[in-house]
Amino acid sequence: MRTPNLCVVLAALLGSAIFATVARAQAQPERGGGGPAVQCINCHGNMAFLGGKSATQAQDYMLFVTDSIVGPSVHGGLSCAECHPAHAEGYPHRAERPARPCADCHPEPGRDWGRSIHAANVARAGDAASCVDCHGSHQVFASTDRRSMTYALNVAETCARCHADPDIIGEYFATPEKALARSAASLYYETVHGTAITESGLVVSATCNDCHGAHEILPPDSSRSSVNRANIPETCGQCHEGIVQVYDGSAHGQALLAAAGPRAPVCTDCHTSHEIVSTDEPVWFRGVVEECGNCHQQLYERYFETYHGKATRLGSDIPARCSDCHTAHNMLPPSDPGSSVYPANMVETCSQCHSGVNENFVQYYAHGDHTDRERYPKLFWPWLFMTTLLAGVFGFFGIHTLLWLVRTGIDARRRGQERGKEE
Amino acid sequence: MTDHVGVNRQRPLSASHRGEGPFLRRFSRLQITLHALVIVSFFGLVLTGAPLHFSNAAWAGWLIGLLGGVESAGFIHRVCAIITFGYFFTHVGTITYRLIKESDRKAILWGPTSMVPQPKDVRDVIQMFAWFLGKGSRPRFDRYSYMEKFDYWAVFWGVAIIGGSGLLLWFPEFFSRFLPGWSFNIATIVHGDEALLALGFIFTVHFFNVHLRPEKFPIDVVIFTGRATADYMKEEHPLEYERVVQEGRLEELKASRPSRTLYVWAVGLGFASLTLGIAMILLVLWAVVGN
Repeated sequence: MRTPNLCVVLAALLGSAIFATVARAQAQPERGGGGPAVQCINCHGNMAFLGGKSATQAQDYMLFVTDSIVGPSVHGGLSCAECHPAHAEGYPHRAERPARPCADCHPEPGRDWGRSIHAANVARAGDAASCVDCHGSHQVFASTDRRSMTYALNVAETCARCHADPDIIGEYFATPEKALARSAASLYYETVHGTAITESGLVVSATCNDCHGAHEILPPDSSRSSVNRANIPETCGQCHEGIVQVYDGSAHGQALLAAAGPRAPVCTDCHTSHEIVSTDEPVWFRGVVEECGNCHQQLYERYFETYHGKATRLGSDIPARCSDCHTAHNMLPPSDPGSSVYPANMVETCSQCHSGVNENFVQYYAHGDHTDRERYPKLFWPWLFMTTLLAGVFGFFGIHTLLWLVRTGIDARRRGQERGKEE
Repeated sequence: MTDHVGVNRQRPLSASHRGEGPFLRRFSRLQITLHALVIVSFFGLVLTGAPLHFSNAAWAGWLIGLLGGVESAGFIHRVCAIITFGYFFTHVGTITYRLIKESDRKAILWGPTSMVPQPKDVRDVIQMFAWFLGKGSRPRFDRYSYMEKFDYWAVFWGVAIIGGSGLLLWFPEFFSRFLPGWSFNIATIVHGDEALLALGFIFTVHFFNVHLRPEKFPIDVVIFTGRATADYMKEEHPLEYERVVQEGRLEELKASRPSRTLYVWAVGLGFASLTLGIAMILLVLWAVVGN
């Protein structure tokens, strides 16, 4: 009776010892309650110990985790094993894939990221921004928390860690047509959006993710991209709603919806994307004429035949530029009664700058072409007269002057010869 | 004929000082003053107007910057326009006064001393070309050669056309009470092209005729001093000289030699104007070729 008893006791003792060990090993990480388990901190909170365990200093810091690091983060209530389940197996840890995918708990952002250019580059090049690159690893804060890497005032800096680093950016944006993408993150700080963040501290100003999205970031040639031409008015309209409402009704907005489609100008064609400046800056209102001229080439050239254009080109802020007469966002053809350049509306339009404007005054050709005899005979004939006059006067006196020079030259030489003979 | 080009080794810089004889008065103080105002205002107008006309030229922005910007250049342009109207109406006024009050009104309108083109001017043009081609002698001019008459009427025409169109562009709101808006387009074309004609003519043809042609090279300051030697008059305006002698008015016209100070100033201003004018021609050529 006793022998079996002893066996049972021994087996029970051994079993409970094994159970206790396993149970302890499994239960241990959870014991920390609010922060990293005591056992993890034994090594990961010891910088001197970690020093020999990693190749670089950066890795040391990644591995260096204490209560004060993880505690205040949104993940402060979780145990280490929630994200590092493999480590629960004990020590030594497996080096590869030490963390559980964030998407396990955050399926939607995970799915969106999976469709993004970042995810595609991870698959293609093996390295691109993933969750921890933008959100941090042990110090993840809510994006409303000003300590967060994704807080509105910090986003640009977060993105710029890669997108303003020529080594990283050069690899992905190597071709000439990607030149803008190479400089985008650096240029952003000079834009009206960027200075609103950095100088005015406006959390409502547009930062990277407001236009590009946060997780499903796609290149502009993707039709689903928020920065695809067709989607840009909607993207900008998230904030500039009133402007986009007007734009949608304009010739440009209508063209975007109609057959012209991709060729129709959108917000960024006039305002640029990463060089957006305030519309009261001289560089803007001089530059915007060039932007309009990219498509409206003939009107652009004829504009510079007028005082408006010439004085604008020389840097004056006063004369009318495209948007002063055609409006900035509600441009419509002159045949449209709603247009600022519809004949019946011209007096009002010119009156913005000129006083005492009447029906006569608005018969001015703001884009008249004096070489176009069919459309502008009133300008063609005076121009032809002046040109003929100039050609006639310069022609006659040009010959007069040349012949005079030749004659005095001949006479002087003849006199010289005569004098030579006398001597 | 005295050969100014080769013979006289002690050749003064200004053609008006070369040769023998007493100095004779050619231009009155009023004429000298008005011409000086023409020079000053014309340079002001050209320097401020040309950059606008050639706004896409490489130098346009630089020149406008030098003048203090578009608004400042526009202000200078309008001030010079007022000076232009000033000398224009002063001249028209004095001529009108003389036509009404003085006994020489007929001489103003017709005859050897009149600015009105005479049949002789047509003959002079023909004879000048004959001389150019080696068929005959150089025409002998009276008080004003056909070239001087052309200069004179060009200013008349120019001030009327450029001044009129300039006023339209200065006060479009006012003029649109009577004129259609496209008249400002025409005014822009006419103003710019006529100004280009004036600039091009004065800084090439006028400069050549009165300063740079071999007989006068490099300068003639008679318009600044108002006086020139008898030899100069015999050479440039022989008929005027002979008539004055015949009428016994030579003593009346005799004048003192211009003071050293006046001469130095005249030559200095003359060369400054020549330099600035030729520089403007080069800028215009640059703009036209660069386009």
